[in-house]
Amino acid sequence: MIHIENLSKTFTDKKRGEVFAVKGVSLEAKPGEIFGVLGPNGAGKTTLLRMLATILTPTSGTASIGGYDIVRDPEKVRAQLGYLTGSAGLYERLTGREVLRYFGALYGMAPEKVEARIRELTRELDMSEFLDGRCDKLSTGQKQRVSIARSVLHDPPVVFFDEPTSGLDLMAARTVVRYIRRCKEQGKCVVFSTHIMSEVEALCDRIAIIYDGKVAAIGTLAELRERAGAEFFETVFLRLIGVEEN
Amino acid sequence: MAMWQVVFKKEFKEIFSDSRTRFNVIVSPLLITPLILALVGSMAQRQAKESGAETIKVGVVGMQRAPQLMEELKGANKIELEPVASVEAAEAKVRDRSHKAAILLPEDADERLGNGDSISIPVVQDAGNEASEQAAKRVKNLLTERGDLLAAKRLQDAGLSKQLIKPFLVGDKNLKGSGGSGMQLLATFLPYILALSAIMGGLMAATDSVAGEKERGTLETLLVAPLSRRDIALGKFCTVTATALVSSLLSVVGLFWPFYIKLPFFNWMTQDGLSLGPAAFAAILLVQLPLAVLGSGVLLAISTMARNQKEMQTMVGPIILVGSVGAMLSMLVRADAALYWSLVPITNSGLVLKQALQGMLNPTFVALACGTSVVYAGIAVAFAASLFKRENVLARF
Repeated sequence: MIHIENLSKTFTDKKRGEVFAVKGVSLEAKPGEIFGVLGPNGAGKTTLLRMLATILTPTSGTASIGGYDIVRDPEKVRAQLGYLTGSAGLYERLTGREVLRYFGALYGMAPEKVEARIRELTRELDMSEFLDGRCDKLSTGQKQRVSIARSVLHDPPVVFFDEPTSGLDLMAARTVVRYIRRCKEQGKCVVFSTHIMSEVEALCDRIAIIYDGKVAAIGTLAELRERAGAEFFETVFLRLIGVEEN
Repeated sequence: MAMWQVVFKKEFKEIFSDSRTRFNVIVSPLLITPLILALVGSMAQRQAKESGAETIKVGVVGMQRAPQLMEELKGANKIELEPVASVEAAEAKVRDRSHKAAILLPEDADERLGNGDSISIPVVQDAGNEASEQAAKRVKNLLTERGDLLAAKRLQDAGLSKQLIKPFLVGDKNLKGSGGSGMQLLATFLPYILALSAIMGGLMAATDSVAGEKERGTLETLLVAPLSRRDIALGKFCTVTATALVSSLLSVVGLFWPFYIKLPFFNWMTQDGLSLGPAAFAAILLVQLPLAVLGSGVLLAISTMARNQKEMQTMVGPIILVGSVGAMLSMLVRADAALYWSLVPITNSGLVLKQALQGMLNPTFVALACGTSVVYAGIAVAFAASLFKRENVLARF
């Protein structure tokens, strides 16, 4: 589903010169799996996801999603992608329903299909009480539910969750986590980027540990524990990025 | 519906659901601008009336040198004359504003007047003080009036008719329907207001549309949707341009409705009526389009470069200044300006508006102004569109 080969991204900074944000990342993610991208802040997780979502162009390397190349067919790549970040990313002066209708039109969905999907997601995410309220009047949790609905409205086969629980309270974070599991049940390929170890342990089938723009390790939780020779996941992480000795 | 139309429809609806936009783009040009104009005009008229009725103190150097003249002038036209010892003292009193003006009488004034000669009477005034200038004008008018009476008396004493020295009796007669003071006011202010509202009318929409979206985190979600950057840029550009056009067209309506719906408050401005032909109306409407496109292109480019709305406001400051100067120039330059003015952005559109309002449209000037405005607008739009392709500018979340 997702195939990444030697993907790199450099930025030019006035003070620091050329800065490597992502260096030669290669990995694969399959349908029906939750693939975790774990790393500290500034490790390059968001840059990697933004390249895959075609917001940024890679400096070198290739990647494809559902067989479409991210550089050659960006619009086709985006058509099968759902993208959710920590910030709700909603238009505050529109109602939740208006936001969903707008994105439905942007994804080229027929109006009746959009309405049917909105009904389905309203039930699934329990949004009936607030969907017709202006987004600036919604609570953080309600916003996040509308935001989830927005990102999966077109029923994409691939969904990216980039630090989706950051800044959320426990209840709102639980809604997100539940929905990530639901996406897996539906056979979607989920890429879940975070720096929170407990979420990775609870959710991910396979994990790529990213540090300083590079992939430090890839594997299932059990494989990573075995490689690091530790059970406690924070120790696993620190050993695999080379900060703590065995 | 094309993707850019989807973006445009949503953005236009969203921008007008903001009460600040509704106030700035609809209420302000329709009501506030004409009310301010009417208020300023009424105040200026009242002030002129009051300053004409005010009693003023005027110093006289050598009051005793022309006692008969002084007697005649005493209390006339609410001018109080006070003796002053010397020219220096008279100047000092005008400078410290205890006298509004001063009259300097020559030493042999009485003798020369008696002999039927003329005398020179300098009136001291402070050129940096408007009140002093107006007072000096009143003194000069009074002296001219008295001089005319004296001349008439002299002619009568000599058995001659006073018409002998006044072969021409010159008066004013305004053309019917020429618009008079109201049109003059419109011709002065309308180009400035329209040029500025066409350029700046889209400011809020532009700020909201890219810098605002970056700040709120919505641009990232829009960039992940399967539409091209070109569609996003076009949809946003059309929103900003449409908002600017609504603003400038409502500014036209705002400045013209007092001429059709007669209200006493606007009487001084509208009493002489309005005379605008269809060609003038067409020129007024036509010139707004490239101006709005130019402004929208520039504003959208700045909004794309800015990281957030605050940065946008900082960056747009010099643009507002340049736009204001360009619009202001059209107030200062005459409507029949040389052709090279048609190449100056913003000013050229203001001058076309001025020509239209003064009924002196120059087709070559209009064609050149519209042509160059379209070229400038095209450059601005191309620049804004090119920024949407640059990820280091667009993706500065």
